[in-house]
Amino acid sequence: MTKVRVPSGAGESRGPLGLLLVAVPVFLLGWMTVWPILSGLVTTLFPKDAAGFSLELYDRFFSDDYSLDNLRLTLWTCGVTSLILLAVSVPLALYLRFARGPLASYVQTLAMFPMFVPSIILAFAFIRVLGPNGTVDTILNALGLAKIRSPYLTVWGPVIGLVWDNIPLTVLILTSGLGAVPNPAIEAARDVGARPLTLFVHIILPRMWSSIFVVISLTILGLFTAFTLPYVLGPASPEMMGPFMQRTFSDLRNPEMALTQATIVMGFCILFGLFYVRSVARNRRD
Amino acid sequence: MLRRHFMLSVAGSAVGMLVLPKVAFAEAGTIDWYTNSDTNILDFWTNTVAPKFEVANPGLKLNIVDAGDGMDAITQRALAALETKTDPKADFIEQGDPLSPKGAMEAGLYANLKDSLSNWSKVNPLGIETDFAVPYRGSQVLLAFDGTKVTPEDAPKTFEDLVKWIKANPGQFIYNRPDKGGSGGNFVRRVIHEVNGRDPSKFTVENFTPEYAEKMLAPAWELLKDLAPSLFEGGAYTGGNTPSIQLLSQSAVTMIPAWSDMALQNIANGVLPETTGITQLTDLAFCGGFARSVVFANGANRDAAIKLADFVLTEEIQSAIISELGGFPGVAWDYVSADLRQKYQAVVPSSIPTFPGGDWGSAINDGWYRNVAPNVDRNA
Amino acid sequence: MSADTVAVRRRARRRPDWAGLGLGLALTLVILVPMLVVITWSFSNVWRYPSILPQQMGLKFWQATLARADVWSALVTSLSLASVVTLLSTVICLPAAYAFARLKFWGRDVLFFSFLAGQAFPKFGLLVAIAAIFLQLNLISTFWGVVLIQLVGTLLFMIWIPVAAFQAVDRRMEEAARDAGAGPLRVFWSITLPQAAPTIFSAVLLSFVGTFYETEGAWLIGAPQIRTMPVLMITFINNQPVIQYGAVLSVLLWVPSLVALVFTRRVIGSSTFARGFGG
Repeated sequence: MTKVRVPSGAGESRGPLGLLLVAVPVFLLGWMTVWPILSGLVTTLFPKDAAGFSLELYDRFFSDDYSLDNLRLTLWTCGVTSLILLAVSVPLALYLRFARGPLASYVQTLAMFPMFVPSIILAFAFIRVLGPNGTVDTILNALGLAKIRSPYLTVWGPVIGLVWDNIPLTVLILTSGLGAVPNPAIEAARDVGARPLTLFVHIILPRMWSSIFVVISLTILGLFTAFTLPYVLGPASPEMMGPFMQRTFSDLRNPEMALTQATIVMGFCILFGLFYVRSVARNRRD
Repeated sequence: MLRRHFMLSVAGSAVGMLVLPKVAFAEAGTIDWYTNSDTNILDFWTNTVAPKFEVANPGLKLNIVDAGDGMDAITQRALAALETKTDPKADFIEQGDPLSPKGAMEAGLYANLKDSLSNWSKVNPLGIETDFAVPYRGSQVLLAFDGTKVTPEDAPKTFEDLVKWIKANPGQFIYNRPDKGGSGGNFVRRVIHEVNGRDPSKFTVENFTPEYAEKMLAPAWELLKDLAPSLFEGGAYTGGNTPSIQLLSQSAVTMIPAWSDMALQNIANGVLPETTGITQLTDLAFCGGFARSVVFANGANRDAAIKLADFVLTEEIQSAIISELGGFPGVAWDYVSADLRQKYQAVVPSSIPTFPGGDWGSAINDGWYRNVAPNVDRNA
Repeated sequence: MSADTVAVRRRARRRPDWAGLGLGLALTLVILVPMLVVITWSFSNVWRYPSILPQQMGLKFWQATLARADVWSALVTSLSLASVVTLLSTVICLPAAYAFARLKFWGRDVLFFSFLAGQAFPKFGLLVAIAAIFLQLNLISTFWGVVLIQLVGTLLFMIWIPVAAFQAVDRRMEEAARDAGAGPLRVFWSITLPQAAPTIFSAVLLSFVGTFYETEGAWLIGAPQIRTMPVLMITFINNQPVIQYGAVLSVLLWVPSLVALVFTRRVIGSSTFARGFGG
């Protein structure tokens, strides 16, 4: 950004004009997002049982094993999902970066498809295919093989669903990150006899790190607040934070605690969000 | 906290006032009616209750809304409307709990039906919990099983039999999470009855204390934990009444607890094969439950909604609940037509064990999540 | 670029595209097959385990679904909501994106990143608070109330992606045009916008599709008058023992997706699009 030369002429009026142009979206964001978040934060810091400021609700969360288990499961799911997501998406992105032709278009179209499938349909398809006596079981049964151990209602259910859901955005960002790898560099390395693995580790990977950071932080941001997939596909307990918060809010009728959980989730998100912001800011400067 | 919330939302609205035109909006005479019950109830209202009510009360209409999992959001919205003295855009809830959200009943969110309904005196006293909800239909949980694998003679007759059967047939039984539907919820309640001498009278709305609940529920958790390894997938629990029925219809499991009306209707429409069998325990039946309707006191169509609540207690609707829905009436049996009474009274017990809601419900659900659900090693 | 492409082509001719075949096959299995299963379900009247194909195929459930008046009115509601929201979002976000990309003003970076806030805080925590505000404004259960809440949901996409597009525009061309005497508006209209258009277009389509499928806000703010397709669909899937209704609605909902996919495929792979998210 600093490299941008401000064209002569309108330079002086830029300050107010810029603010004016962003005013409406910023107002909407402040009114319907920032404001409720702040008021929620106030509610959790001044619980109705306490006379004034109190961290009691947070204390209760962090001293409750059950809540901590749920938090742990959420972190575990985030970690495993991110790893699998990278393992799936990096080869796809590499392929899409360098390949051309009808086959590449086909692969690209399929890789983008999940972006247009809402979670609820995904959950539905998941149960029909991988669920008990679903398609996979039916086929295995017809071949005379044993049934699979269905991931439906286990911790792997949400993982598979979330990976599926996040493939398009991950592939997109990684592909664009690979745009930073110049073809001549690869050609040159290949000409001197570099093997694909060496090529990947020494030439490609160093240039991908920032996109990988972006992908991971963005995914985790989404996973923490994910609700539909963990709720429909996951086990009853431990729960991921999304369904847990919902249950605390409506079934246990404890909105204060639910808001506390939400704030804690947001704390983690901000942590990962900072990674994200840093890598984005770095890329913006380039 | 209420006041602070109020101040915050007033401030938020004040900001909005500046930029938004005020939109006048009200549809007089249309009752906004919500349910989170399963489809059979929705169909019953759409095809039977609503037309009859609209004929009997010209000028009034029902707007039937299936809330699914979104019922709580609507109740919360109504509570927010109460605090801000605005129209909640909701009048009647087919199956509500006036004890939820906490403090809402005291704050005046629900209309007092005991004082407003002319038919209140007909209501089956067993079903009454508060003056703010009218029990209008009952249903019972029973066991539904795959008749090709279990003959009716071999089906469990007592709870002890059921435990034996579950353990002898690992992976063939599943119940849903108790907060996600009454079939699993009442299975869990039956276990609570079992470990407390099969005496439903030990549990009332008034006698709840956290300590008492802890003492009464703890042995039930032990029994359920003991059962868990023999359940489907070594301890999986579905997310509702319907998913359990789907597992049974896919032959993934052999036996489930199910609502009587849902089981019968799904056999009738072919979702469950004709070979599906149903049975009830004879030592103590599974808990039944009454669906209790509530009316929001701050709804724009409050009076019409109260008329509707009165209407569902009439003999016409109560008889339809028995004959069309396969449920049992919310009124005492004396107030249904004589031939129906004779035909069904032998089949349907005149009283079914029930379990109080409110704090007990929360204690059971949360206790189950904390004690039963996690203690399962599923090689995760 | 063209030299690279030639180089790639030359290599490709040397041996079959094994990687492509493998990936294509794998994706077909994990992405296409589940979708085909759902489509098959929608056309089956009876399908019980352990038969590989439905015991009885037919249009029974398509007819039953399409005969319901609420399905059609929900589809119309969804389409008009998504169009209005996307249009409004375009009108308010594109100027903002331009400002974020090109102008310097007070608090620019902080404001830019604050759009992430909506992603970090769980939605239900926001929604009830927003509902309380909307109640007083009489926006509950109205079309415009839902528009407003969904509009907020599109802000992140509609600002971040176009910002990348505006930044990627070649400045030298703009300056050349200006040197030739074109005014700033004309430069924007004939140089900047055409170059940024493909990426902006994909952002517009994404927010259209995203709005179309949004459920929580649509339910809490829209009930009982405003019923969208996905809201209808969730109740179908959750409480409906007949699987086929859900399958039919799923297939029905893919139609807008597929149209969008065909439209976006050309632009969506371009690197400017992903750069919107920092890649």
